[in-house]
Amino acid sequence: MTAPQVPVAPVQPPLLQLNGITKVLKGQGEPRTILSGVDFTVQPGQSVAILGRSGSGKSTLLSLIGLFDRADEGQYFLHGNDITKLPERKAAALRSAEFGFVFQRFFLLKHLSAAQNVAMALVNGQGWSARRKRKQQVMEALEQVGIAHLAKSKPSRLSGGEQQRVAIARALVRQPRIILADEPTGALDTETGNLVVEVLLNTTRQGCGLVLVTHDHDHARKMGRVMELRDGRFN
Amino acid sequence: MLSGKFRSALVIGGQGIRARKLRTFLSMVSLFLGVLAVVTVQAGAEIAERAMLTDVELQAGKDGTIMGYVPGEKGAPGIVETTLKGRSDAVAMIGSQAIIGEPGVRPINEGGMPFEYANQGGNYGGPSMICDASGVCHEQKQPEKKPDGQAIEVSMIALTGDIRPFKPFRPVSGTWLDFTSAPSLAPRIVLNEEAAKGLKQYRIPGEMMIEGATHHVTPQIAGVVQDGYMQPRIYLRLDELRTWMPTAAETNDGNRFRGGGPGLEIYLEPGSDDLQQLLRSKLIGAGIDQQNLHFQPVNSKERMESELRIMRLIFLGMAFLVLLIGVAGILNVGLATVGERVEEFALRRAVGMSRMLLAGIVLAETLLTGLLTAALAIGAGAAGLQVALMMFGHRFPSLQGTTFPWEAGVAGVIAGLVAGVLGGLIPAIRAARIPIATVMRA
Repeated sequence: MTAPQVPVAPVQPPLLQLNGITKVLKGQGEPRTILSGVDFTVQPGQSVAILGRSGSGKSTLLSLIGLFDRADEGQYFLHGNDITKLPERKAAALRSAEFGFVFQRFFLLKHLSAAQNVAMALVNGQGWSARRKRKQQVMEALEQVGIAHLAKSKPSRLSGGEQQRVAIARALVRQPRIILADEPTGALDTETGNLVVEVLLNTTRQGCGLVLVTHDHDHARKMGRVMELRDGRFN
Repeated sequence: MLSGKFRSALVIGGQGIRARKLRTFLSMVSLFLGVLAVVTVQAGAEIAERAMLTDVELQAGKDGTIMGYVPGEKGAPGIVETTLKGRSDAVAMIGSQAIIGEPGVRPINEGGMPFEYANQGGNYGGPSMICDASGVCHEQKQPEKKPDGQAIEVSMIALTGDIRPFKPFRPVSGTWLDFTSAPSLAPRIVLNEEAAKGLKQYRIPGEMMIEGATHHVTPQIAGVVQDGYMQPRIYLRLDELRTWMPTAAETNDGNRFRGGGPGLEIYLEPGSDDLQQLLRSKLIGAGIDQQNLHFQPVNSKERMESELRIMRLIFLGMAFLVLLIGVAGILNVGLATVGERVEEFALRRAVGMSRMLLAGIVLAETLLTGLLTAALAIGAGAAGLQVALMMFGHRFPSLQGTTFPWEAGVAGVIAGLVAGVLGGLIPAIRAARIPIATVMRA
């Protein structure tokens, strides 16, 4: 007699997984190790806060996750696929398709309207959609962050919180799987910062992963998981 | 369909230009002069070539025309005239001298020289020398000197048909010869400007003496043309002229317009091989040595192009130097702009733009600037030419009907594109090298 077979749910790979990542800064003088054997995983719909002092390697880790830079050692898996040695052209395509970026400074182009700033992520050479479709996508992203009525406004006419929400809409417009936010509330007051964090957390409810680099422990506590980097390692 | 990358480059390049209007304008100012220099040199060279060609065509015939020379012996003029009768694809002309004015006097411009050199002493062309077969030469005995009088000597060109399709004479006044009507008993003549000048300046009586003619004739002056010759010339129908010439029976050896005398020039349309062959056959059949029958195409343009090429290259070299100054302007502004837009470019790469496309955007901006400048420079060149023609065109008849040459437009567009590429290449490379992490460290 054989034992009855129990149905097993297929194991879904993590959204992203970093194994033993090391990054050494080689410039003038002695090489400096920024990250040392870091392991890091994000599941779909999971929000992760990364805390740490200045110079602890938070932004470097985020730039490695976002494929801005390459690790010196370790492996990087995205949806279970090894992308450690991805060529730059494919990395650009992945940045466009998989990631949304939000920075401390909003980096809105002052000569473009809010809608045009959001559309910037759609006009990046990674495919082409008709103007009408682009407009629809942009308006949906702006509605998602609650500022559709400001679509035609230039950044100079928007408050800091509104500008950061435009930046978030720009990150969301391609419906990414992961949002990488580098101190997005750093330039905002507490109330506006809370609002921005709420907007970011909303994205995880739709299955999007969120990695938030912050100094603010209150914002970090709102995330599903909090990790602290110290001297290039997670505690 | 345009690719997404190309469209993106154009859209973002256009946005960049709109966002930095003053800088774009400053780039265009420096480049404008360079492109305008190229356009002007090219247009000038083309117009000069056309003007020169038009002047040369007046004398030598239109480019491509087959020009033949037939000796005026053994009845050749009659054969040619009969063969070409009623045809519009070929015309023959035969030259001779005539004197208009008082009979029995020495013409003011003896020998048919330009009036500018008349009455300056000496014979136009110097003493005539005659050499025998052994190479021994002796001065020809000068005819008895006639008293000075009110007469001018002209080259008389008798035509079998309308020569203007082959030699584009420019009308000055009156009309051209009518070859469709019946021959007139009083020959109608058309003067060139020099002959008209002589008649007007010296108040010459309207009586014409033709060597070998039975008596003097009173011609009707139909009009005046510009034919490119400095010497006074008159044109008339060969059939009208013959009315005044003796028939072969009246002379011992026939007259020059029938059987013997100077040769004929024949102008044939390109591709008239059958007619040329027919003429050759008839003339050889009449006993003319085929070695003396010469037919060859007029290739004035080819000859002139080689002469103009060096001059054009020198001027283009100078224009290129001016263009380089414009390129330096674009390069300078481009590098400064890239320096200012480091964060924008890093951000664009962060949202998925490739290095190549980023470089393409910078190049698209400089190329659009170059093309826009080229359009303005071409427009300015064309407008300048129109103004110049309105102001000075009447002084230069060969420029009549001149239009802005398309070659200059093409040269302007190429100059704009080259300047855009040269001025945008280094900024584009710099833009592509901006690390994305710039946005993280900001």
